Amino acid sequence: MDSSLVPITLNVNDDVYEVNIDPRRTLAEVLREELDLTGIKQMCHEGECGACTVIIDSSPVLSCLTLAVECEGKKITTVEGLADKKTGELHPLQKAFVELSGMQCGVCTPGMLLTSKALLDRNPDPTEDEIREALAGNLCRCGNYKRIVECVLAAAEIMRREPNNV
Amino acid sequence: MSNYKILGKGVPRKDAIEKVNGQAKYVHDIKLPGMLYASYLRSPHANARIKRIDTSKAEALQGVRCILTYKDVPRVHPRNKIRFLLDEFVHCSGDEVASVAATTKEIADQAVKLIKVDYEVLPAVFNAEKAMQPDAPLVYPEYGTNMYHGTELQPVPSMREDHWLPLEHGDLEKGFAEADYVIEERYETPAQYHCSPLPRAVICEWVGEKLTCYACSQKPMMTMQDLAVCLDMPESHVRVVSTYVVGGYGGKEPEEIAVLTAIMAKKTGKPVQSVLTREEDFVASRHRSKYVGFEKIGVKKDGTITAMQHRMIHNFGKDNNLTMLILANSGLYGGAILYPYASMKFEGCSVITNIPEHGSMNGYGSTESVYMIERIVDEAAEKTGIDPVEFRLKNCMRYGTRGQTRDTVLGRQPHGTPQIGKLGPRGVLDWGVVGKDADAMPICINEVAEKSQWKKKWKGWKTPVSVNGHKRRGIGISLGINGSAYWNYSSIIKMNHDGTATVMSGATELGQNCSGAMAQVVCEVLGMRYEDVYMHMADTAVTPAGVGNVGSCGTSSAITAAKNAAEDIKQKLFDIAAPRLGVKPEDLDVKDSMIFVKSNSQKQMPIAEACAIGYQVVGVGNNRPYSSFIDEKSGKRIYDVAVAATIAEVEVDTETGQVDTVALYSAHDAGTVINSIVIENQIDLSMVMSNGWVRSENYVIDESTGVVVNPNLLDYKLMTILDMPKIDDIKKSTVEIPCAWGPYGAKGMSETATTSQAAAIANAVYNAIGVRMRGDVITPDKVLMALNK
Repeated sequence: MDSSLVPITLNVNDDVYEVNIDPRRTLAEVLREELDLTGIKQMCHEGECGACTVIIDSSPVLSCLTLAVECEGKKITTVEGLADKKTGELHPLQKAFVELSGMQCGVCTPGMLLTSKALLDRNPDPTEDEIREALAGNLCRCGNYKRIVECVLAAAEIMRREPNNV
Repeated sequence: MSNYKILGKGVPRKDAIEKVNGQAKYVHDIKLPGMLYASYLRSPHANARIKRIDTSKAEALQGVRCILTYKDVPRVHPRNKIRFLLDEFVHCSGDEVASVAATTKEIADQAVKLIKVDYEVLPAVFNAEKAMQPDAPLVYPEYGTNMYHGTELQPVPSMREDHWLPLEHGDLEKGFAEADYVIEERYETPAQYHCSPLPRAVICEWVGEKLTCYACSQKPMMTMQDLAVCLDMPESHVRVVSTYVVGGYGGKEPEEIAVLTAIMAKKTGKPVQSVLTREEDFVASRHRSKYVGFEKIGVKKDGTITAMQHRMIHNFGKDNNLTMLILANSGLYGGAILYPYASMKFEGCSVITNIPEHGSMNGYGSTESVYMIERIVDEAAEKTGIDPVEFRLKNCMRYGTRGQTRDTVLGRQPHGTPQIGKLGPRGVLDWGVVGKDADAMPICINEVAEKSQWKKKWKGWKTPVSVNGHKRRGIGISLGINGSAYWNYSSIIKMNHDGTATVMSGATELGQNCSGAMAQVVCEVLGMRYEDVYMHMADTAVTPAGVGNVGSCGTSSAITAAKNAAEDIKQKLFDIAAPRLGVKPEDLDVKDSMIFVKSNSQKQMPIAEACAIGYQVVGVGNNRPYSSFIDEKSGKRIYDVAVAATIAEVEVDTETGQVDTVALYSAHDAGTVINSIVIENQIDLSMVMSNGWVRSENYVIDESTGVVVNPNLLDYKLMTILDMPKIDDIKKSTVEIPCAWGPYGAKGMSETATTSQAAAIANAVYNAIGVRMRGDVITPDKVLMALNK
């Protein structure tokens, strides 16, 4: 083993991964390159776009500004972990994005979904302003902002109505 | 309501599931066994000759597998005759000098830094108007001028000897003489970078003499042909796969890096991936350049526009292969058709400079042209004192006013169809007309006026909607127009034995839902379920020819081909079923995947059974040429356009110069809508991208070095969700007058949406602050300057 690599254990989407990594690697790089979890995207590599957002414990975090070694012992959720693991059923947010076309090219979509999930988990009934505030750091070059707000509002309503399905 | 079974419904996109669960793999996400990573050395100088290039240190670095300089590659270029893949000369800051492939991206980056280059720095020019001066440094000295210089693959006969493309109608002098007011102003439009969510990327892999290129390309067939031409290979041996393509907005054409990557992959015997950095993508893709316009309009007191002179100078950067298309769009749609002035003259000139090249971006030519025209039209309306909405209703195009296509302006054959007209010696065209769908123009204007409550909000010229301390609200309108052409496309449908269909198309799915729209059309023809149609997109080894998703015509062209292929399948299935049901094929119909006898629906055969009997039922569909449509009223040829109108409401803070768009009302001539939900996505795109273009983005090139000074998302400001109006303050409508030649009357409308946005914002800012913004961006500093603060 390369002596500059350190062994770490990551819990991603309830799967445990043991990897040897350069301690300078970001979480985004490790997820994409070591764990082949390529759902997160990197538009800017400098914390401007939000496409690399993951949920760590319960907070949305920019994985391009987070070192992977910081994440040991934490629970990481990526877009691959949003659907129900056993049944494969999509999360209400994913369903809303599908039904209402909350995406076009799809690059910002994982980040939009995870930021929205973190919001709905802490605030099940957000106002439009609260959704806008939460998504202010997620860029969509295809311009889907209006539709994304509508998707989050629709998903929130379903989640409030059918809390057991989440 | 229409009688369509599935058309017009908001069914989910075909690619939606994989885009919400992270399974959609873009080229950037693909890793092949043994893959090498590429990095590029780029010129720090805007114009230079490479005197010496030493790669020895880089070659010695462990992990480096291949280095290419101009000495190692064929002297070819995918798209033009005067530039080469790599060259002894560099023509802009950021031009490729060398490429490296190594076992990791880090090693490739390090190797690039170890290449030593001695440059002979040459004088350079960055500003188009300066580049037109007789003593300006020449970008390509062998051409003797920086003005349009023939990089086109096809020579264009309609250019004048002084390098301006002319287009005229009527007697301009008489038109100005008849006018009560003549206004003459200079305008600019901003430069803009596509800022695709992910930069350009390709992976090339060879097996023997066969090349596979996974390309993030919106024109996969052209990428395939670029590779075949540059590498001197048969097209059959080049396979380009573009399954999921990142939003392109006109910019996803990776031709140079595709060829260089293919050469590196060939030399190393390994797959090679090139993914540009964001900074590289800023300089190595083709941006929307800054335009300068000299506009002159004549208008009578009663509001009739009598004359319009429209001169535009385009800064094309180091080169462009779309020069003439962009010029023609500029002159035609905004310049000649949007308003059928009694007399008009357009002159456009493209200028070569030492900056990154200008290329196709969302509504190219038309977007910039309409931004200028709709600002001076607003000034003309003000001179007459007429309400700007009324002024436009009085002068705008409608059914039967003049029409033309850019192909005719260029005097060339439109995509394989017979030549249908020619520019005369002085640029006078044999005009046709716009069709019945052009009546959408006044309808769109009335629609946005009503939705925005224009009559209530418009307080008259020089009077803002409201003033609250240093915050002033204004309202403004703009019309929009672009071509809505149908390009050549084919589609193949392969029926499976269980009655499901596999549709193959050379179109790409960049987010515009081309694949879903094609599936809807196939279902409409064959009476199938949407979920029984599988789309196989953009894989040149198996998918049929298609120009690519460009010019807002990808979807409308691809669905035409899909419809024709589905009709072909239908006929073949009926031919199989008819003798078995004891009837003739014309006695049959199909519904819910069941073929049945029209006069006795109990006599039936499932599609699946007919498919199995036929063993392999295949349908092929092509587009029909659009030149065959003649207007019944005038007997003249009908030309393709799509129109739009937008009203913007802005709030300007006169202390900070901040401009907020607080409401947008937009109406769009959409022909028959195929997917009611997805069409709104495309209108949203036009709104957000145009607000960015006008209010914040600003692709800034340093005037002394030619360097792009803000090549990152920190300094290049895209619109965020907070910069756009709230959901109830964005109102979108579609006007559905079936288009004469589109499948089911559908038409391309997305780029037209873009053309209608910018001037609405600028005109609203004028209404708010009382100062005309005739420059490029309307950023806070420019607003404060305009207010003399």
